[in-house]
Amino acid sequence: MKADPKSVLTGVYYIDGDVAAGYGALAAGCKFVAGYPITPSTEAFEAVCHRGPKVGTVFIQMEDELGSISAILGAAWSGAKTMTITSGPGYSLMQDAIGFGAMLETPFVLLNIQRGGPSTGVPTKTGQADMMQSRWGSHGDYEVIAIAPDSPQEMFDYTVKAFNLAEKYRCPVMIMSDECVGHMTEKVVIPEAEKIDVEPRRLFTGKAADYRPFSPGPDLVPKMAKAGEGLNLYITGVVHNENGHPVADEKYKSACIRRLVDKIRINKDKIIELKEEGIDGADVIVVSYGISSRVAVKGVEMARQKGIKVGTLRLVTVWPFPDDRINELAMKTKAFVVPEINYGQVVYDVARCAHGHASVVLVPHGGAGVHNPADVADAIEFAVNQEKPMEGVHEFKTRLEKSVFEGGFKLKE
Amino acid sequence: MNSIIEAINKGIEQSGLDRNKISIPSDIPFEPETVKSLGVDYFQVPRGRAIAFGSGLKLGNPELKIIPVVGDLMTLGGNHFVHGTRRNMELLVLCINSFVYHKVAGKSVPVVTEAFSPYSTFEEPFNFPHLGNSCGAVYTARWTALHTAELAKSIAEALHKRGMSMIEILAPGPSYYRYVTDLDSELLQFYFENSTVKNDEDPRNAAITADGKIIVGKFTDKERATFIDSYNIQHTKILGDAFTPHGSLPEKTGGGNG
Repeated sequence: MKADPKSVLTGVYYIDGDVAAGYGALAAGCKFVAGYPITPSTEAFEAVCHRGPKVGTVFIQMEDELGSISAILGAAWSGAKTMTITSGPGYSLMQDAIGFGAMLETPFVLLNIQRGGPSTGVPTKTGQADMMQSRWGSHGDYEVIAIAPDSPQEMFDYTVKAFNLAEKYRCPVMIMSDECVGHMTEKVVIPEAEKIDVEPRRLFTGKAADYRPFSPGPDLVPKMAKAGEGLNLYITGVVHNENGHPVADEKYKSACIRRLVDKIRINKDKIIELKEEGIDGADVIVVSYGISSRVAVKGVEMARQKGIKVGTLRLVTVWPFPDDRINELAMKTKAFVVPEINYGQVVYDVARCAHGHASVVLVPHGGAGVHNPADVADAIEFAVNQEKPMEGVHEFKTRLEKSVFEGGFKLKE
Repeated sequence: MNSIIEAINKGIEQSGLDRNKISIPSDIPFEPETVKSLGVDYFQVPRGRAIAFGSGLKLGNPELKIIPVVGDLMTLGGNHFVHGTRRNMELLVLCINSFVYHKVAGKSVPVVTEAFSPYSTFEEPFNFPHLGNSCGAVYTARWTALHTAELAKSIAEALHKRGMSMIEILAPGPSYYRYVTDLDSELLQFYFENSTVKNDEDPRNAAITADGKIIVGKFTDKERATFIDSYNIQHTKILGDAFTPHGSLPEKTGGGNG
């Protein structure tokens, strides 16, 4: 199915990533956005409030983030494609309902423009420290899809894709952007509607008496319904059987939860998108995502000038994680270098998949800024000079950290 | 709870509305059989989020009638009630007040349940009709589990209101039955002896106190532009023909036939 021309703001723009994501949502057919504006995500909400009423997209500023995410889940069940937009503490407040959304297999998109944390953190500056929260933030087992765009153009393109994935797999899809990409202003080309593919809702079309809300299709994803169609829906966040009725039996519990994770795990090859460059014959591979991948480009260039063979692997999809690809590359390369704006999150998944066959070097950053490319270059040089794979995750001491606390705190004797 | 379900059933019947277009988001568990017998769509949501979830259902499809059923004295999600009422979201909130009135040491006091509160409670309950009225609800009422006919009539009336309606229902929660098995008739007797019907009473005077009578009745019945009305008016004013109104427009200014 192609996008509705009415909702696509075709043209060439010079806009920031937040606004591009807002326009992407409209192009994808998002008809309801609820949010509680929070820096640095407000421009995305503003873009929807500005353009939405002209294209039939309804918005509401709710009283808080718990209300925002609950409202988009409700609207999804009355048939709308929905999104909420947040950052930092707002993201934490949404966690309860994210699990509820996953449990009800509700398609929705959550745009998180990450900022420095924890707590209020650094509201106006960047961070990448919500990555594990995006995966495990709500209680219980479930799987999500998380995407990390690295430019305003990608914010548009991957917001459309996020909506399509949400409809296809009926799961929460997180756009895990960051303040730098959100506030980065670049050229964005919005194509004509006929060039934008959108995934329609997978609605049940049979007789009401035959509808079983959680009966999986061949790809493990059930057909969705909407309220008001005479289906007498019984939908609950309690563990349920295929009819949606509550069950406490462990065999039903296993079936219900196992499918929530398996529908993503088994389909992961269709979901995962990576961007690789110079991988063949590389001695070191830089694995990065979001703004860190833009910074890494310079670091890689500096290392290449020193004659080191460096490849790059960008995680466009961070969750589900590309276990197989990292594992495969670990057999061919000497080391992975992972710059991320946190003290180690995605790097541990790289190490898990490297299985000790290659060194894994974290280039950390505490947030409120981005890496110095020279640190990435030095980490690459350090990694390539190891005679054999190092154990676990090696944390590289950056210039910034050496300058403020000598590269790490120590206990006083 | 069964008497409340029956009142909801009768209320919907009296309202003459299409059951297929009614959704009940609730943080109180209903049995699947109950939902089937009501002929509505039901969503059991996380504690405290029925009003916010219901707001989304309504904005996603303005043709739906939404009846959020909330419990726990609205301790969780009370702010959704306050702001949903302020913006006059078209919902009928049924607030099940599970404070149980029980005589302790010769004096009537509200207790949650003996199991949860072995030494009884010392907090005052909310005056929900007053809260709703002061936030701008277009309809407020209070009934007990004893007043099922009046409750059904209120539900039918409120379902035709355009805007936020709220009905407080004094009824024991399920845990009450689990731990206190012999007070059922005693409680209904208590409601009978200690409640007094005062329709149109100023809700400020309807607080539930330890000693006074429980005032029940319909307290508020007025008209005010709904959230969707205001949304449409504002965007039409600014955007003109570039804006297509969301949902159906009111039949007359202020709307409503309640």
